[in-house]
Amino acid sequence: MSNTSVAAHTAVTNNRKWAIGYVSVVATIFVLNKFLLTYLNSDVQKFFNSWFSLSSLAEIMIWILMALGLNIIVGYAGLLDLGYVAFWALGGYVAGWLMSPFFSSLQFNFFGHARKGFEFGIHFHVLIVLILGGCFTAIWGVIIGGPTLRLKSDYLALVTLGFGEIIPQFMLNGSNIAGHNLTNGAQGIGGLDEINLFGYVIGTFAMPEKFLMVSILAGGMIFFSIRLRDGRLGRAWLAIREDELAASMMGVPLWRTKFSSYSIGAVSGGVGGVAFAILVGGVYADRFNFVISIIILSMVVLGGMGNVWGVVVGATVLSWINSIGLVQVGDLINNTFGTHVNFPSYQFLIFGLLLVLMMLFRREGFLPEARMRMVMQDEKGDVDKKVSDETKIASN
Amino acid sequence: MIKPIKIGALAIAGALALAACSSSSSAGGKTLVVGTDLPLQGASADASKSTNEVIALVLEQAGGKAGKFNVTVKQYDDSTAAKGAWDDAACAKNAQDHVANVDEVAVLGTYNSGCAKIIIPVVNQAGMLMVSHANTYPGLTVPWDKGEPDLYYPSGSRNYARIIGNDAFQGTAAAQFLYNEQGVKTLAVLDDTQAYGIGIADAVQKEFEKLGGTVLRYSWDIKAGAINTSTFQKIKAGGATAVYYGGIFDNNGVQLVKDKTSVLGDNKAFLSMSPDGFSGYPALRAMPEAEGLWMTFAGKSLDGIKKGGGAPAKFVADYTAKYGYEPNSSYSIYGGVAMQVILKAIAASDGTRKGVLGAVFGGKQLCLTAAESVSGMGFCLNQQTGDIDSVTMTLQQMTGGVETDIKTLDIAK
Repeated sequence: MSNTSVAAHTAVTNNRKWAIGYVSVVATIFVLNKFLLTYLNSDVQKFFNSWFSLSSLAEIMIWILMALGLNIIVGYAGLLDLGYVAFWALGGYVAGWLMSPFFSSLQFNFFGHARKGFEFGIHFHVLIVLILGGCFTAIWGVIIGGPTLRLKSDYLALVTLGFGEIIPQFMLNGSNIAGHNLTNGAQGIGGLDEINLFGYVIGTFAMPEKFLMVSILAGGMIFFSIRLRDGRLGRAWLAIREDELAASMMGVPLWRTKFSSYSIGAVSGGVGGVAFAILVGGVYADRFNFVISIIILSMVVLGGMGNVWGVVVGATVLSWINSIGLVQVGDLINNTFGTHVNFPSYQFLIFGLLLVLMMLFRREGFLPEARMRMVMQDEKGDVDKKVSDETKIASN
Repeated sequence: MIKPIKIGALAIAGALALAACSSSSSAGGKTLVVGTDLPLQGASADASKSTNEVIALVLEQAGGKAGKFNVTVKQYDDSTAAKGAWDDAACAKNAQDHVANVDEVAVLGTYNSGCAKIIIPVVNQAGMLMVSHANTYPGLTVPWDKGEPDLYYPSGSRNYARIIGNDAFQGTAAAQFLYNEQGVKTLAVLDDTQAYGIGIADAVQKEFEKLGGTVLRYSWDIKAGAINTSTFQKIKAGGATAVYYGGIFDNNGVQLVKDKTSVLGDNKAFLSMSPDGFSGYPALRAMPEAEGLWMTFAGKSLDGIKKGGGAPAKFVADYTAKYGYEPNSSYSIYGGVAMQVILKAIAASDGTRKGVLGAVFGGKQLCLTAAESVSGMGFCLNQQTGDIDSVTMTLQQMTGGVETDIKTLDIAK
């Protein structure tokens, strides 16, 4: 067997192992919450509901989806995007427009599941909305990426930052666009339809099913991310990330390759936005601020830029800390030691410290990609060697 | 390499082991839980902390009981540090948690109407009572935007009550005061682009135009330190003689008030007015530019409660003695009133969610007399809407760095 086919076989085996692992974890959580938890001791129930509530786990899956989308742009292609929240917002509003009574002057239902008494508005089937959400954000990725991806590093970051500011502001002020209410401004769009999958209605309290739904979306994105990375396009992205000039000399079409990463990353943001709106039951412009873009970027960087599983770990850890982790750990410490420290208020301090420590001691992230690890370690090695050489010269 | 299946199995086994190690459940009489749902982080953290303390004191003074039931409070946080304000995901999570907590019979909150829009439909389907002390968005209880308020009650019956007047009352009172008493014919109405601010600005605009006045409508830039002088230049050019700040002071209010003074002059030269979103801020009181600012307050101000004497003033004194400082604002006191409503509902119930809900939205109308209420305001809850049947509105003016009560208006609905 040639080296290439051995490598391909190893990659497939590894991917299969991870797939089995991912499915096992998701299935265990689903079965535990759907069938077992109600039969367990109330303390066990309380423990899971406090530390690993299903709503939080579902939210974590959304963050994973978002972080993986940004990972394609930042981790694979090396394009610094500071406005990724815009895609989240666009996806969310697609759900608001196409799955709610919001456009009350219309009455259109395409396999949707409008609530009784709220048949007015637009009601598409949830699967169609997920696809349309992805397509809509991909189009916006094309519109934004087309003219701007010829820019490099800092300039591109500034343009994406602007995009990330404009879209949420538009949503916030979009209640009167030439006399039309497109976004309902700060009031947001609520009352999203329930999910009806082939006759099976996933109601308000069907959290295990909702968790399963977002886990499937996140799992799909993990699969696509791995397949894309290992394919021709993924290798072209990595080549551009490592050395744009060298990549172009090797025949990689720079603009087209960057463009594809931006659009594919946008799709993930859109799908995640739709899923998040369904989970929350509406879409509210308040959410979409710059901090969210930075948090997603931090998930990618801390987890391990370019490594799918690293990003999954980064997104899981940071979103868990943000949603319930810090509160629970704080309560545990306060109850154990009789202190009254408001741990959540120190979130940014802890977050900042974590970033600084990671950059000092583990720049490549929790689970770095092999190439990234080599680059970082080489750089560190070079610096150490230089320092060592300078010390020797000084001592001589 | 450690296999992922092993990691997953280890994590689950560890979690189960940890859970098994925790203490066993306590036995004893039936203890019902009231969940408070407030933003404990960010700009509203101090107000929420104070509200939770008031709620704890109300419960303590009731002996921890409502009728024959023991009652405890569980605090929920609907904000995240990352947002520094209420968070839609946290609200959605809390809604599920309220329902999942089988001992919980009622929800007290929320502070933000946007969060209430997410929580009400969920707890409505579980048949749980929810009472807010601070939501002022009209559409939560009365027809406003298309589909409201029915959109929030999927079960078809009401479960949400609030013990404070909605924005329409405050906006109407402000517009009438400016038009009828101050003779303003052209009014600049600003909003802070947030749900509360837009709602109240809309209400002022609607009433002012109904009275025959002209409104110039703008939004202000809420980013910290952002300059808004160009907006005030437009107002000056538009011929307005007064400005209304529809929003909350946290949203760049310091700079806004400074910019207004620099372009339009002080409040003697050019009148300005704000809703209760500007109340209770020491930073505003300390600003010389705020002198003469007119304010409306939905309910009685803290100052009014203290000066009113009787049981409400004693409650404020008890709070101060217990915690060493005064309540953050009268909104905190209203948190206590909402708790009193819930305790009364529990006492009149059989201890089930259905019974507690039925005590407010079925059978005998639930009323709180002025003598009972820690705010000194008596009211009955409308069983059709969940609103109170009479609203007290306080008109204040900033004088000498103090929000001084000018008069109190009792508005019957």
